[in-house]
Parts: sequence; structure tokens; C-alpha cells
Amino acid sequence: MGKQLHDNICEEHIYSSIFNKHATDLHNFLYYKFGELLNPKDKVQEAFIKLWENCSKISPDKAKSFVFTTANNLMLNEVAHQKVVLKHQQTKPKMSTNENPEFLMQESEYNDKLQKALANLTEAQRVAFMMNRVEGKRFKEIAELLDISTKAVEKRIYGALKKLRKDIKEL
Amino acid sequence: MNREELISKWLDNDLSNQELEAFKQLDDYDELIKLNHSLKAFKADEYNTSKELEGVLTTVKNKKQSSRQWLKPFMRIAAILAVCFGLYYYTTTLDTTISTEFAQKTTIELPDYSSVSLNAKSLLAFNKNKWKQDREVKLQGEAFFKVAKGSSFKVKTASGIVTVYGTQFNIKQRNNYFEVICYEGLVGVSYNSQESKLKAGDSFLILDGKLIAKEKENRIMPSWLNNVSSFKSLPYKTIITEFERQYNVEVTLIGIDSTQLFTGSFAHDNIELALKSISLPLNATYSKTNRTIILKRE
Repeated sequence: MGKQLHDNICEEHIYSSIFNKHATDLHNFLYYKFGELLNPKDKVQEAFIKLWENCSKISPDKAKSFVFTTANNLMLNEVAHQKVVLKHQQTKPKMSTNENPEFLMQESEYNDKLQKALANLTEAQRVAFMMNRVEGKRFKEIAELLDISTKAVEKRIYGALKKLRKDIKEL
Repeated sequence: MNREELISKWLDNDLSNQELEAFKQLDDYDELIKLNHSLKAFKADEYNTSKELEGVLTTVKNKKQSSRQWLKPFMRIAAILAVCFGLYYYTTTLDTTISTEFAQKTTIELPDYSSVSLNAKSLLAFNKNKWKQDREVKLQGEAFFKVAKGSSFKVKTASGIVTVYGTQFNIKQRNNYFEVICYEGLVGVSYNSQESKLKAGDSFLILDGKLIAKEKENRIMPSWLNNVSSFKSLPYKTIITEFERQYNVEVTLIGIDSTQLFTGSFAHDNIELALKSISLPLNATYSKTNRTIILKRE
């Protein structure tokens, strides 16, 4: 790790570079953990505004964990208030080219099941799994992001996959 | 390599070509690929970093401004308070000044209940706040002091400083005229850095810079407190200036020597009588028009 040049992040260019580095990860983390209904984008904003307000007390290497913890707490506050049921957003990506009605119906049935199965995963499993599968992150990157060991990430992801397949079959 | 390891490596995108082939041979390969494909549909919303950053920065800057907007009225209040406090401090530490005009007399009570009677056209100043530390007044003109017992009491005049400890005395300080008469107790007078002590009945008079000896004073208070000015062997001009102060008039002398000594008195409440008292002993006549009086000796 390089030598630390700044002991706080009150300068706009440092702040911006931190934002660019972590905002997307933070957003995805919140999205996969809490779903879309709780406005992960707003929470990212709020967390980064808090980061700015406290910029004199936070060194650049602490910034990531600060925004992650802050955003997570903001989310938990809201979950405690609203008890919102988690629901993943359903997008309509292009599927296969051979689209006959039966296939489409099967496809949509499968997606429903998958959605329910995803909601059944634990938060920790879902975050790690979706980061890996959808965002294409390696185990090591996820481990760094969540401050846990690579082994633990592997365990979560593998566990999630197993649980998903089991749920899909049963549903 | 077992199945579990293969899947794990696939998950981590860490399969070698050989391992990939082995992975494809797994019976649940198709299922895994299908699941993998469908999962992509649950991808998080596109997160536009630069747009979001812009949003955050504008919010942050607005907050900064709003905090300044809050600061501005606060600073105004602070400024007003500072001015008020300054004024309060200035006015309370300012000397209290009492002055009398022509033909006016007044009595003042000082913070320690000492009393001061001011004769016409005189000025007294003292500081209420510092009174406890040192009892000090400034005087121009003539005043009679009844000083309560306590620490030293100082009267500063242009001619000299009078220091006392609980006593009654009269000070008269006019142009070229400085007189202190002690009626009770002990009075110290420093004049030209010389200190004189006055006991009850003693008086101290400087006329045109010369010390003039006087007889013992028998009265218990100065006559002017009873609205009479009395003089003993004083130059006639002294009497005239005092007369001018008491009646707010201008007196012109014709054929009269203003330095000749005069003994006598005049009342403050009857100008006709007073004019007679100062003109008859000199065998002079007077004429009066408005505020101008002419004294004439044939």
C-alpha cells in the first residue's frame, strides 16, 4: 500500500475519487441486500453526504468502511420502520431467439421461482452471490468489499447456489 | 477433481481449459448455465457514477451555503450584542457629571451618602463604578462637601488636590482664585506639590498665585449655602465676578479700582438689595439695563 498523502478527504478531488471508486459497489451491495424498494441510490447519496460532513475526521483508507457502515445503518433504520418485504426488480432482458409461447411461459415461471428463491436467501448469501454472478466479481474482490475472508465468501456463494437450486426444484 | 470444487472454481471464474471441459461434463451443467443466465435479469439498476457524484456535490455545496445563511443572521445578532455591550460598558464606566448654571445651586448625594452642595456655575464629576476603590471627584467652581467617614476622599481641581477623611469643607476654585475652608475634621491641601493641613476653622487661600493668610473661620458652614456671599478683605473684582455668577449679569466698573480690598456680603435672592450692598460701601451708584449693570463712582 502506498504512503498516505492526505489525512482527510475534505478536498473535492480526493472526495470525488473516493466516490468514483466505491459508489457503484456500495449501491450494488445495498441493492442486493435490501432490494430496490428502499431506494439504495438515495442511501448512497446520504452516506456520501455524511462522509463529506465528517470529512476532516476520516482518512481516505477509512472512507470505504465509513460509507458502507453508514449506508447499511440508514437502510436498517428504514427496515425497522417500515418492515418492507424484499423484492427484486424484474427486468426484461432479451432471452433466446427461439421464442415460442410455451417456452416463454416456462421462462417466466422459472423467473418467478428464481425470484422467490433469491428472496429466501440470507442477506449475506444474497449479497455475495449476486456480486459474484451478476456483477462478475471474483471471490477476492468481494472479500475485500465485505471485510471478510475469501473462504467465507466462497462458502456463502456456494451455499447460496445450493439453496437456490433446491428451492427452484421444490417450488 | 470433484464436482463441488469444479463448481466453486467456476463460480470464481477460475477454471482452466481442462477443468472447463470437466465442468461441461457435469450432469447439472445445463441447469447451472440456465440459472446463471436467468440471474442476469436481476441485475441491479445501472448506477451512473458521474451523475450521482454531481448530485452529491450539489447537495453538499447547498448545505455549505445554507450553513452560511444560518451564520449570517447569527453574526448580525452577535454584532448587535457586541455594540450593546460596548455601549453599556462605556456608559456605566463613564463619569457622572453634574453642573450648575448661572444663579443655580444644587446638592448632590454621592454613592457613600457624602453630600456635595454646588454653587452657581460649577461642575462636579465622579465615577460611580470606581467609587468603592477610590473616592475621587473632580471639581470646577465652588462646592461645600460633607464627607462621610471612610477611606481617603479626594477632590481634584485645576489648582490643587484636596484630600480628607470624613469632614466638612468648602472649596472655591475660580480664575486665579483657590480657597479651601475646613469646617470640621482635617483637610489636606496639596498646591504646587506643597501639602498644607487645615484643621477646623482654618482656611487656605491662593489669590493670583500668592498665599494669603486669613483669620479663623467661625461659621459652621459657608454663607453661600444660605444664599449669601460674604467676603473678607478680598479684591473688589472677586466680589464682582461672584456677583455676575449669582445673578447672570455683566458688571462694568467706572472709576472704581478693582483691586481695592472689600469686606461685606450680598444676598442671592434680591438683586436690588445686593447691588446696594456692594455699591454703597464704595460710595458708588449703579444703573441697570437688562443684563448689564454699570457701577460708577463720581
